[in-house]
Amino acid sequence: MGKFILRRIGQAVLVVLATTLLVFLGTFALGDPFASTGDRQVPPAIAEQNRAIFGLDKPLYQQYFTYLGNLATGNLGVEYDQRRPVADMLIDVLPNTVRLALVAILIDVIIGVIAGIIAAVKRYSFSDVLVTVVSTVAIGVPTFVLGVVFLAYLAGWGPFPAVPRPFGSEVPWYQEVLLPAFTLAIVDAAFVARLMRGSMLEVLRADYIRTARAKGLSERVVIGKHALRNSIIPVVTYLGVSLGVLLGGALITESIFQYNGVGYLLFRAIAGNNVPIIAAVVVFAVLAFVVLSLIVDILYAFLDPRIRLD
Amino acid sequence: MRRSRTGFAVVALGAAAAMVLTGCAQRSNQGAPEGGSAQPSVGYPETPPVEVVPGKPGGVFRLGITEPTAIDPYNVQESEGTSVANALFTGLVQVEPDGTVVPGVATDWSANDDCSQWTFNLKPNTHFHNGEVVDATSFKRGWERVAAPNSGSEVSYHLDVIQGYEEFQAGQAPEMTGVQVASANQLVVNLVQPDCEFPLRTNHPALSPAPAAVGPTSDPNYTDAPIGNGPFKMDGKWEHDKGIRLVRFEEYDAGPKAYLDAIEFTILNPQNGVQLETDGFKAGTFDWARMPTPLIGPNRAEFEPQGKWLSKKTNGINYFVAMNAEPPLNSPEARKAVSMAIDRAAIAEGVFKGAQAPADSIVPSLFPDAYQPGVCDACVYDPVKAKELAEKAGLTPGTEINLSFNTGAGHEEWTAAVRQQLEQNLGLKVNYQGVPFTDHLNNMEAKGASGLYRLAWGADYPTPGNYLIPLMATSSIKLDAEGKVTGNNYSRYSNPEFDALVARASATKDEAARNELWKEAERIAIGRDLAVIPLFQRQQFRLVDHSKWGNVNMDFNEDPTFDQIFLK
Repeated sequence: MGKFILRRIGQAVLVVLATTLLVFLGTFALGDPFASTGDRQVPPAIAEQNRAIFGLDKPLYQQYFTYLGNLATGNLGVEYDQRRPVADMLIDVLPNTVRLALVAILIDVIIGVIAGIIAAVKRYSFSDVLVTVVSTVAIGVPTFVLGVVFLAYLAGWGPFPAVPRPFGSEVPWYQEVLLPAFTLAIVDAAFVARLMRGSMLEVLRADYIRTARAKGLSERVVIGKHALRNSIIPVVTYLGVSLGVLLGGALITESIFQYNGVGYLLFRAIAGNNVPIIAAVVVFAVLAFVVLSLIVDILYAFLDPRIRLD
Repeated sequence: MRRSRTGFAVVALGAAAAMVLTGCAQRSNQGAPEGGSAQPSVGYPETPPVEVVPGKPGGVFRLGITEPTAIDPYNVQESEGTSVANALFTGLVQVEPDGTVVPGVATDWSANDDCSQWTFNLKPNTHFHNGEVVDATSFKRGWERVAAPNSGSEVSYHLDVIQGYEEFQAGQAPEMTGVQVASANQLVVNLVQPDCEFPLRTNHPALSPAPAAVGPTSDPNYTDAPIGNGPFKMDGKWEHDKGIRLVRFEEYDAGPKAYLDAIEFTILNPQNGVQLETDGFKAGTFDWARMPTPLIGPNRAEFEPQGKWLSKKTNGINYFVAMNAEPPLNSPEARKAVSMAIDRAAIAEGVFKGAQAPADSIVPSLFPDAYQPGVCDACVYDPVKAKELAEKAGLTPGTEINLSFNTGAGHEEWTAAVRQQLEQNLGLKVNYQGVPFTDHLNNMEAKGASGLYRLAWGADYPTPGNYLIPLMATSSIKLDAEGKVTGNNYSRYSNPEFDALVARASATKDEAARNELWKEAERIAIGRDLAVIPLFQRQQFRLVDHSKWGNVNMDFNEDPTFDQIFLK
């Protein structure tokens, strides 16, 4: 088991390292952030000064190693526009994204798992067809469409706060998080429902379920205890990975609702070609994903002993 | 030139302000002179300026902006930051929406004979928000803070007309020698070249005063809550990406106190900010709103009858850089042929749906004393005449011509229309090219560039000279060692006659005489030579409820006149 975990950690480190190189090359390819662009004309002498401040006048490989060194010591640098420390900015918005991700996952579990179980247990019934059709549609609709529709028709109504809210009007976080969480959760919940249904159907055919029924256990115990425990494993895997993705920030959804999370931060940074923020957020997102997948893999190994046996 | 995050043209000089004292404010305002025969009747009409009347204290004015680059004067650049900075700071002079210069901290100002030295007398005993007195030293401190070698300012070039700027900026001098504190209330400024319009330049936020308690430009604790001397002060810090709240400065003594209790800027998503402003206005969240282009028509239909509509031709011209030094546009006839083959009215109507008005000059109607309706006689659509001129200039059917624009900024549709018109009316073979802005700029700067390049210009200071000189003076070509243009005269128009006129205008103290010189210069560069090809006049639209708010006008910066607005 220890060897397995070590191997997975080693892989994760490699992935993160490779990511830093890609991020670096990618952000570098965005071009000179201090060049005169659009309607912004930066005097050459000042542009040069700024480049020097951020070490952009150094050779590319040197810039990369400086960047890597800073990253290793947890120094994310300062952003270009207002020279704010990127780490502070990230820490500021992180709690919002964590809340959003957790609420979205909670909605996934509640809607997806229940719908999946009903569809499996009452196979070919009206509810099953309904779940199948609705989940197909939900998977087909892009998140941004859903987000924009929610924004247009639901924001400012009932418990859902308006977007944008005037500065100074605070809304409790659990209200603010609702619409973006639903937007994110709906596609995921549809996946979960299908996954749950398929996995449950498979389990229901298993011998031990027949045995359980033969023992005269109530259907509730058979499904809720014996079948659910085994069929939920792939769902847990999926949700774990999904959480990893969400923690990296939901770029589109957060931007639509102006939800001040990691994704919206990244969005604005991209719009403003603010490389230090982009680099930091992308590395963070990869890290979140890698760590979550690692945890899922390890959990999985515990849940299913066959995994460990190579 | 300043950048604008939401519009495609560039925004101008900060203005704001003005004397609320009636008398001063009751002026006939800007606007295109009526009856200019060459002024095409396309585009939405301007709304008349609101008459400024005495108000009463009260009210919180709320509006949406996108995250500014800075609100501290050291790096204020776009309309958003200028809007906040102008409420926080009062400079030497102020500019009213109609372009009139009125006193700010300075009570009066005068120049030597050729305008190379300016003396400003300051109001004694006016105050910063922290209680410090504003004196001549405050201005020197503020300007040197911006010009300092390590300031990180991208706007310090606004000071480059002052003697000693370059040495100071390069770290070779301990102070900016051209700025002299003659006495506590007298500031003397020496310029590197005559500029009779220098006072207008001091209205730029970069030339604001700074108190002794000023923090370094690198300290966000200070730059997020700068101490100003304007009619409003910070209420707490700038909450990045959330908002900025300003409250009335009760002890304001550089001019009349503001009426508004507070201004609340909500910072919106830059991608759809203007849409959100409109949404917010409709929902009652905002009191002032911009809108995306497709909504201009519907919004006007809905809100103009309700008295919630503001429309103004502003500081900005969309034009074609026409490469004067290379064929095929190396003759006035060729440039006029191209210009007359473009149906501006049809494009304004068909593509812009009336949201842009055809231009008939390079100095816009915003400057009523220098604007000459129809000075660009070749800005009229006349395919027959165009054909004639083209033949004369050797612009025969089949001639190749470059037509370049920058992508992703909404220029695709109208440039395509121009291309079609050039092909149809002159039979030209148009090399139509859309590239990202940086490449567009590089292509334009490069040695040997030829043809037409789309560009927009907005003046940094509300002066006709800030159109004519940067765009068409020989001194603004600034060729580097490789023959690249580094100034703003990308057309490479070079005419000693024009250069002499604008130089004379810059050194002419009398405003009326100066305006005559600007006009004469434009008649030569645009009327006779068509150095650049004016296309469309920038026009702006806002939603604001005039029955709720009094004295709401749009300043040079396209922002509301915060210091005059009151709640009815």
